[in-house]
Amino acid sequence: MLENLKIDISEIDKIGKFTKQEKEFRVKNLDFFNEKGLPNKKDEDWKFSDLRQIVSKNFKKLDLKIEGSKNENFELIKDFDHNHIMIVDGRLNSTNFQFEEKEKIQIKKFLNENFKNKRERNPLVHLNHALANNGYFLDVADNYKFKKVLVIYNIFTKNLNDNILNIRNKIKIGKNSELHIFEIVINRSKKNFFNNTFDTIDLEESAVLKNICINNEKSSGFFHKFRKNRLLSNARLNSFIFPSGPKFNKIDLEFNLEGKNSECYLHGASYIDQNDHQEIKTRINHLAPNCKSYQKVKKVLDSEGKGIFQGKIFVKDIAQKTDAYQLSKAILLSENSEFDSKPELEIYADDVKCSHGSTSGSIDEDSIHYLMSRGLNRKEAIKLLVNGFLNEVIETIKSNSLRKYIQEKFESGFYEYKKH
Amino acid sequence: MLEVKNLKATINSKEILKGLDIFIKPGELHAIMGPNGSGKSTLANVLSGKTGYEISGLLKYKGENLEEIPIDERAQKGIFLAFQYPTEIPGVNTSNFLKTSLNKVRKARGEKELDTLSFLKKIKVISKELGIDERMLSRQLNVGFSGGEKKKNEILQMKILEPNLIILDETDSGLDIDALKTVANGVNSSRDKKKSFLIITHYQRLLNYIKPDFVHVLANGKIVKSGSMELAEQLEKTGYREIS
Ligand SMILES: Nc1ncnc2c1ncn2[C@@H]1O[C@H](COP(=O)(O)OP(=O)(O)OP(=O)(O)O)[C@@H](O)[C@H]1O
Ligand SMILES: [Mg+2]
Repeated sequence: MLENLKIDISEIDKIGKFTKQEKEFRVKNLDFFNEKGLPNKKDEDWKFSDLRQIVSKNFKKLDLKIEGSKNENFELIKDFDHNHIMIVDGRLNSTNFQFEEKEKIQIKKFLNENFKNKRERNPLVHLNHALANNGYFLDVADNYKFKKVLVIYNIFTKNLNDNILNIRNKIKIGKNSELHIFEIVINRSKKNFFNNTFDTIDLEESAVLKNICINNEKSSGFFHKFRKNRLLSNARLNSFIFPSGPKFNKIDLEFNLEGKNSECYLHGASYIDQNDHQEIKTRINHLAPNCKSYQKVKKVLDSEGKGIFQGKIFVKDIAQKTDAYQLSKAILLSENSEFDSKPELEIYADDVKCSHGSTSGSIDEDSIHYLMSRGLNRKEAIKLLVNGFLNEVIETIKSNSLRKYIQEKFESGFYEYKKH
Repeated sequence: MLEVKNLKATINSKEILKGLDIFIKPGELHAIMGPNGSGKSTLANVLSGKTGYEISGLLKYKGENLEEIPIDERAQKGIFLAFQYPTEIPGVNTSNFLKTSLNKVRKARGEKELDTLSFLKKIKVISKELGIDERMLSRQLNVGFSGGEKKKNEILQMKILEPNLIILDETDSGLDIDALKTVANGVNSSRDKKKSFLIITHYQRLLNYIKPDFVHVLANGKIVKSGSMELAEQLEKTGYREIS
């Protein structure tokens, strides 16, 4: 049945009341989605992640309405001071900006924006545009530097049961402002669910955002996120992603360097095991001169884990003096694990520095031998090497307390090791 | 300490050690010299327990047959190999690794694990003795270390782990004169009645600082000549051709 998932137009009315323009936008996007349904491997952007097959194998139905309504309690992180936003099953639940000047920050529940009518390429974005019913909008005023990190708790509860969530978030950071976000996914659900998120992040001139996201608790969650980042001149975006854990996780990141001298960095580290499937897809659009992009994505694949990296760098003709770097590295720990990568460059400017590379292979036997000759057993040696490989990414997080917290959380996700 | 009889080792269907005998008593220091490709590193690897070789012959350490004992357990039992080419291990902090390694070995010896503070004290003293810049210890293991720093790091590990059978594979190659003296002092200060050394070298120079009890010549997979320090002096003059 889910082979050709079609969603009835009446679902849009169940979400709420919309202006004529909004309704049209939703209906149009639902049509786009229904034309083809869930993407399969014939779609170039989904060739390594056949979502239609994955969904039909794991779901009997995908309900929009959540039946359960049990309340659950969640503990806040005690390791460091922080502001927070708590989101429960996609719904904005509570916010706390105790360390900040309140008038500089605006946080709202999902906003019915005036949607633009440009058609996106991604069928799941169509679905999201048609059906999004939850999310938040965070607006930071100009010239304001956050004093403490903002933790976004993204909680998925036991109330979920073969549900699909369509979440739409937006963050806007004003000129010369700076924000550090630590996004943590907490998975309590025992049943399968599908989380389809569409994020927009706008950095105005000279804005700075550091965004760390960890989603490494084992769960029966299926995650798809499309995040559109837009940077105006001199803006800087530093993203860290630690996306191991869910059964399926596709992170599709678009960075639009629209203003000159803007910079974006992406660091990723994941440990993928059991039969988890993870894809990181990036597209960096260098649209202005003198911009810099840097991507380093590392994956360790164990048991029947599958990891994919698709990264495209696009350089527009006027984007002279572009400096673009991309590297993906994978270690395969088992014969049944798999890594695919597809790096692409499309360059129309002549004065650019672009480099990309991808390596994958099993763990170096000489290194194992060296460590074992100092008394570590094979398993310990491998663990140390794997940690070292992935830790390199975590080490680049400057804040000590945050880095320590992430290190511990991250290592707690090495499930195959813990089994023994 | 070590008893090797008629040791043969083959890798990729190439026989490299072709019936080698060596006998080392506790407290003795043996030097092995020999032409390039004669099998010196292979002998060191086989003793340390490196896998991938087909092995026959007798291999006994402290009276125990080594055949079935894997590399990590040999290390825990006190066999130490300072590698000719130490491997670079990205992402692994040198100091943390040394602590992990030491505590594995201590645990195997039935000793208490060292806490971080006592460990740091210990490592500080030894680093100073070996002229190792302490900043090196917070770097990734061997990554970007100079040739000499890598060799010193091997000796540092030897001094920390306090093994009983110590094999140094060309630890002197690539060291400047001062470093050579420091390393030699490091070895000499570790010598006692319970420790034995097997030192692989190309140069008599090292043996001026570390006095060997025996000198062996390894050629074409066999010990072709054994003697005292004079043998090394003779080799320095005549080369290997005169001998084999
Ligand atoms: N894995 C292998 N497969 C095939 N041949 C090998 C392998 N390892 C070593 N050999 C060969 O065995 C021989 C002995 O090598 P070994 O490294 O033991 O020499 P060595 O005496 O230490 O030389 P050097 O003085 O140059 O360090 C060499 O001819 C080498 O090429
Ligand atoms: Mg050698």
